[in-house]
Amino acid sequence: MGVMASIDKETLAKLAKLARIEYDPAEEAKLIADLGKILDHFKELQELDTKDVAPMTGGTDLANVTRADGERENTNRGAGVEAFPESKDGFNKVPPVFE
Amino acid sequence: MANFQNLTIKSFHEGLVAKKFSAREVTESYLAKIKTQNADLNAYLSVAEPQALEAADAADALVSEGKEVPALAGVPLGVKDNILIKGLPMTAASRILEYYTASYDAGVITKLKTQHAVFLGKTNLDELAMGSSTENSAFGTTRNPHDKDRVPGGTSGGSAAVVAADIALAALGSDTGGSIRQPAGLCGVVGFKPTYGAVSRSGLSAMASSLDQIGPLAKTVEDAAILYKAIAGNDPLDATSTDKGAAAAANIEKLPALDEVKKLTIGIPREYFLDGLDEEVSTRVEGAIKKLKKLGFKFKEVSLPYTKYALSTYYIVMPAEVSSNLARLDGIRYSRIAGVDDGKLLDIYLKQRGLGFGTEAKRRILLGTFVLSSGYYDAYYEKAQRVRSLITQDFTNAFNEVDVLLTPVAPSVAFKIGEKVNDPMSMYLEDIFTIPTSLAGLPGLSLPTEPYPLGGSKLPIGFQLIGKRWHEADILNIGRWYEKE
Repeated sequence: MGVMASIDKETLAKLAKLARIEYDPAEEAKLIADLGKILDHFKELQELDTKDVAPMTGGTDLANVTRADGERENTNRGAGVEAFPESKDGFNKVPPVFE
Repeated sequence: MANFQNLTIKSFHEGLVAKKFSAREVTESYLAKIKTQNADLNAYLSVAEPQALEAADAADALVSEGKEVPALAGVPLGVKDNILIKGLPMTAASRILEYYTASYDAGVITKLKTQHAVFLGKTNLDELAMGSSTENSAFGTTRNPHDKDRVPGGTSGGSAAVVAADIALAALGSDTGGSIRQPAGLCGVVGFKPTYGAVSRSGLSAMASSLDQIGPLAKTVEDAAILYKAIAGNDPLDATSTDKGAAAAANIEKLPALDEVKKLTIGIPREYFLDGLDEEVSTRVEGAIKKLKKLGFKFKEVSLPYTKYALSTYYIVMPAEVSSNLARLDGIRYSRIAGVDDGKLLDIYLKQRGLGFGTEAKRRILLGTFVLSSGYYDAYYEKAQRVRSLITQDFTNAFNEVDVLLTPVAPSVAFKIGEKVNDPMSMYLEDIFTIPTSLAGLPGLSLPTEPYPLGGSKLPIGFQLIGKRWHEADILNIGRWYEKE
């Protein structure tokens, strides 16, 4: 079993950056405490020997069925365009990614 | 206005076809009840009066023209506000989607529209379906119709409350770790989570895709079965949906004879009835078992030894999927809060998500980011996926001995508003009896241990019947015999 850790100020800041979430400094202490308690709870999983158990990676036991590789009509093409906060000519308007 | 208090989907349909009333009359009466009751309950986030009346008229036209009238025609439904109905707002009870209007119909809505069902409005939930009490809604807590100082459960708390208060005849909810079954239990109504893959999730605001499933909340098991049948089946827009659930429900409206149904053996998993189980829950679930024994059902004790690890497993797998699914809510594609960012891309992301997500959503996104991050993936995420296999195997083993399982649905009656909201671990424990079923992808039915009329002396307690995959008929049929007696 690998590393188990807690979340400190620095880790929290790093996670928030990865997750693209700004948090209020007033939320920091409670976030760290709550996440710490939750991670503590997870320690019980270390009791289990799972090296010969295959991970369950989805919700179903059914096998994939692939569709025929042919033309098809996309039934909801264009859906969502009107929801864009900013758009131009039916395209989503995004601020420059590189500056 | 006529009194339509005691309607079920079944009796509504019979009355509609017999022209005892029109769909418009019933819809108008429900809309009127919403107007007087919703301010207090906060169970609907939005009401779609013109669309509802239009759909009711279409159902009435089928009757007057002598056409075939489908089972759901004219039935006034509530729809959880994380399911898209074209042209209506879909907030998922989050600030980050406050200004979003759905641009297409969810798969389940498309199916219900072909039957001319009526959608009264969108029901409240915990923000983005994260919570167990509906207190995490950005638009205020829903109150339990049985006691307005108490929570209705969650996350489909609005859907459970509108059915309990009879301001919808039935409702749609979604269940990731118990979000249909637990609120149904706390509000004294029936809630049904189908097998994973039985119902399309196209147009459901995605939370944890290996767990999410849409299902009905209703006054009776029979109604839940009728609504389930209408929404089950493959949808090309959800690659996980199949026709197996629909096939299993093909004859669901016909209840087989008790002699046939009681051939099913019911298992009691001892891990769900350990010391420390709330006394009232224990007494009333025991009462349900006694009643089923009286009907002639055979019981057997079984063991699901990995049950105690389900909560940890769930709170790793689910946030991991949440952190990934919610990346799409970025202030660029769906909805934007005005005047908070400087218009540069990174600042839009940080500020929109920082202000748009509530505390629980942030906590889960950060937790999910953590368990997936380099160095921790194996110890947390992959470990949890392996334990998920063990939990699923537990059920497979038990189902070699018995046909269905019976458990409590929630650890206590509805708790007081504010009691648990600041302590996430105690809130998470609310779903301890419903999470294992979800991890294993099995169907679960939550039904009241006894009828709980509004204004009665007791707060509702439910129990859960868990079936094998694609054997929804087993638990629905037992439930229907239970409620008949």
